[in-house]
Amino acid sequence: MAAIAPAHRTGGVAQAAPNRAPRRRSPALRKAFPYLLVAPALLYLMAITLYPGAFAIYQSLFVVTFKGWDWAGIDNYTRLLGDREFWAALGNTAVIGGISLVLQTVIAMTMAYFSYRDPMIKGWRIVFLMPMLFMPSAVAFIWKLGFNDGRVISDILLGLGIVSKNVDWLGSIWLARLTLIVADVWQWTPFLFIIFVAALQGQDQEIEEAARLDGASWPAIFWNISLPMMRPIIVVAITLRGIDITTMFTNVYIMTQGSPGGATETMSFFIYRQGFRMFNFGYASAASVLMLVMTVVIAQTVVKRAFHSGKK
Amino acid sequence: MASIHLQNIVKRYGAFTGVRHMSLDINDEEFLVLLGPSGCGKTTTMRMIAGLEHPTEGEVIIGTEVMNEVDARDRDVAMVFQGYALYPNMSIYENIRFPLRMRGVPASEHDKLIRRAADMVELGSYLDRKPGALSGGQRQRAALARAVVREPQVFLMDEPLSNLDAKLRASMRVQIKHLQRQLKITTVYVTHDQIEAMTLADRIVIMNQGAIQQVGTPDQIYSDPANTFVAGFIGSPPMNLIEGTAQNGKFTASGITAPCPAHLRGKVTLGIRPEDCRVGGDNVQGLVYGVEPTGDVTYLTVMAGSKQVEVKAARDYRSDIDVAIGIGFDPARLYFFGEDGERIRGAA
Amino acid sequence: MPQTLKTATKRKSRGESMLLRYLVLGSWAACCLLPILWFLTIAFRPRTEIITPSPIYWPSFSLDAWHLLMSDWPIAQYMRNSFFAVSGSVIIDLALAIPAAYALSRYEFKGREDIGFYILSTRMMAPAIVAVPIFFLFRSMGLLDTVWALMLVYAAINLSLVTWIIRSYMLDIPKELEDAARTDGAGDLRILWEIIVPACLPGIITAAVIATIFAINEFLFTLLIASTSKAYTMSVALANFTGGSDGVIYNAIALVSFLAFAPILILVILIQKHLSRGLTMGAVKG
Repeated sequence: MAAIAPAHRTGGVAQAAPNRAPRRRSPALRKAFPYLLVAPALLYLMAITLYPGAFAIYQSLFVVTFKGWDWAGIDNYTRLLGDREFWAALGNTAVIGGISLVLQTVIAMTMAYFSYRDPMIKGWRIVFLMPMLFMPSAVAFIWKLGFNDGRVISDILLGLGIVSKNVDWLGSIWLARLTLIVADVWQWTPFLFIIFVAALQGQDQEIEEAARLDGASWPAIFWNISLPMMRPIIVVAITLRGIDITTMFTNVYIMTQGSPGGATETMSFFIYRQGFRMFNFGYASAASVLMLVMTVVIAQTVVKRAFHSGKK
Repeated sequence: MASIHLQNIVKRYGAFTGVRHMSLDINDEEFLVLLGPSGCGKTTTMRMIAGLEHPTEGEVIIGTEVMNEVDARDRDVAMVFQGYALYPNMSIYENIRFPLRMRGVPASEHDKLIRRAADMVELGSYLDRKPGALSGGQRQRAALARAVVREPQVFLMDEPLSNLDAKLRASMRVQIKHLQRQLKITTVYVTHDQIEAMTLADRIVIMNQGAIQQVGTPDQIYSDPANTFVAGFIGSPPMNLIEGTAQNGKFTASGITAPCPAHLRGKVTLGIRPEDCRVGGDNVQGLVYGVEPTGDVTYLTVMAGSKQVEVKAARDYRSDIDVAIGIGFDPARLYFFGEDGERIRGAA
Repeated sequence: MPQTLKTATKRKSRGESMLLRYLVLGSWAACCLLPILWFLTIAFRPRTEIITPSPIYWPSFSLDAWHLLMSDWPIAQYMRNSFFAVSGSVIIDLALAIPAAYALSRYEFKGREDIGFYILSTRMMAPAIVAVPIFFLFRSMGLLDTVWALMLVYAAINLSLVTWIIRSYMLDIPKELEDAARTDGAGDLRILWEIIVPACLPGIITAAVIATIFAINEFLFTLLIASTSKAYTMSVALANFTGGSDGVIYNAIALVSFLAFAPILILVILIQKHLSRGLTMGAVKG
């Protein structure tokens, strides 16, 4: 072995090293390097968010017609604040989204609680996941057909004796909203379920075992130990889902188009209708700006906090 | 193949100072161990030698060249990490080859060098495996092979054995020392394990709170500690340190007396190693607190007042607890430290 | 005697809870699956048996929808559009997100937190907010009704998500690995490419799959940008099966839904273990 060493040394880097002068990287470049790495992504996102944001603010100060842009000052905003349809859209988004979110959370948590210790958990996961894997537009059609065009749900309810005649789902405010809620809950409960199950499965087994030895029942463990420990995860999951719900558009577009009487018109659909159906682009932009302000406020408060606690 | 000089190094992280005004000369071909408790700055020091961190003040010199502005990749040092740091996606062969590729060693040489390095650490038959398929000891040897393959100027080892079990650690220790002697490469080794430090080092640097406490050979460190920190850190069980008063050539604490140099006055700390205490004698009057047989030796803990004294007793010594006992000190092996913790030298 | 009584009640309560468990899980499973199965039967019905005064539960089997798709609709074109727009967008995302995630996870620099949060917050933006400006932007660039526009939009929608997922996986890679590569002589970009990227490949794949799904699903922008079959994707093509004197052509819609569902299911099963982490943008470690 000792004989090898000298030969090894001459064959090593000693040969290659001299032809390369040590690099002395300037502190400036070293400092700039991470910025260079994030720059492309950052510029891309700015182009697609800041530019449109600025554009929307600018356009919101005009009445935009096919003939041209006429300066309107803050007219669009004053009109908007006095527009019953705008406030209705805001309220609808909150009501439909809020109820959906609560139902999804409760169902997802219940299913997660009952399934995470089950030997067939892998099977349950796939089954419960499936609705989420359909394109949202397809899901909207499933429920459009089920509720309205195909009358299947009415027929089943008739068969169960819950109703006495075919239900006109688009005929009443709350029934129309209910169809949107059902579609959203059906498709997106899996999102929360997957996260909750992962959190429950990932929790420290020893703590659970210690609690069992202390005589706690499974529901008691769940309430007193699992839920509090999962809190940051629950907050992140509900925040993400909540944000997505406020952008609800596809189901409205395909299932109700906002009827009856605007009772199911969400903010997104309001902006779309003003812009691309009625071609009030300035007005739509003003609504966009107000929605943007709300988003920024929510992002700065709820989301920032949620992701900070989620990290820990 | 190079000496290392640290000149008045300071490393600050915001308000926290990790290393304070450290100067150290490491000789060519030396095996130097940085020893200290976690957070003492030893790893930071090593990382500054590696170029993974940059000193706030002072200079790092390798050979004759100031390295402060030179990137880690160009320093020609090899480092072995606590967690092995093997690239999980590459086979062991590719892992060992990586530094050769990065440094532009001609491809025709690779295979020969890799196999030689693998043979040195007896890893020849595992070259095709991924790191995940190896045991801890094998991974550690793969990491060593990756470090030796390119014959760097300096080896840096950051607690390389702390993730191994005790038995494996002992055998790897010998292997590392053999390798270093064989290759004659300047090595800096960081550990918090004093056994590793004592067995491996040519010289040990003991650090605490970012500052050097003592530099010396293992013998010097053990038999001639510079302060209470070094005295209490080295030795297992460590030196007994007993606070008391010196007056008229006599040291007293509750239940403990010992002779001391006549010039000592006031509050001092007496140091005595457990192996320099014997059962029977009148330096300590106390009660047996505990007896711990280990096979080749029995450790005895005596409670004198509120102080515990560790004694290395004969292998067959046994006693119940709370039995009155007297302990004698070897008068030639007494150490005294002042109130600032520094050693008070002079004939005992 | 009291002892045996106690164990008896215990056993009984456990039996009841098992029954309750399977009752709950079973009924939700039925809620999930029955609409899907029913929709599957729709795909193979003749049109006359779909919209009827009272539902027909045992319809006759028919390949009407299939023939319709093959003859009247350029379904292959829609699939191609979806494929190019989606895969192109995912490639853009990875190219931009991997360096960004590398910087956000492995470097200390001023403003890092704020930049990271800004990237995250773009995910919170409702498509409707930017819909009007984006429409005008693409119109002025002459990109309306092109696959390129869709690609750019999908990439933008998913960029934050992809960056954050990859960032989360990169954070898990021990710093030592990078240090080792550095002392071995590798530079920053080489460390990224040869060490970091392979080590967080599962995260990159997860991010790509989730981005793919969201891109396939995208509806609003596609609706605005694509106005002819030149750029129609599967998602919006569905909405196009409606209208005209024929009403909604459900069997064709159902068939297309399942054509898109199959690849998504396969992709998701592929990354099942990482799904929860991906969906929460890395905040939850499954």
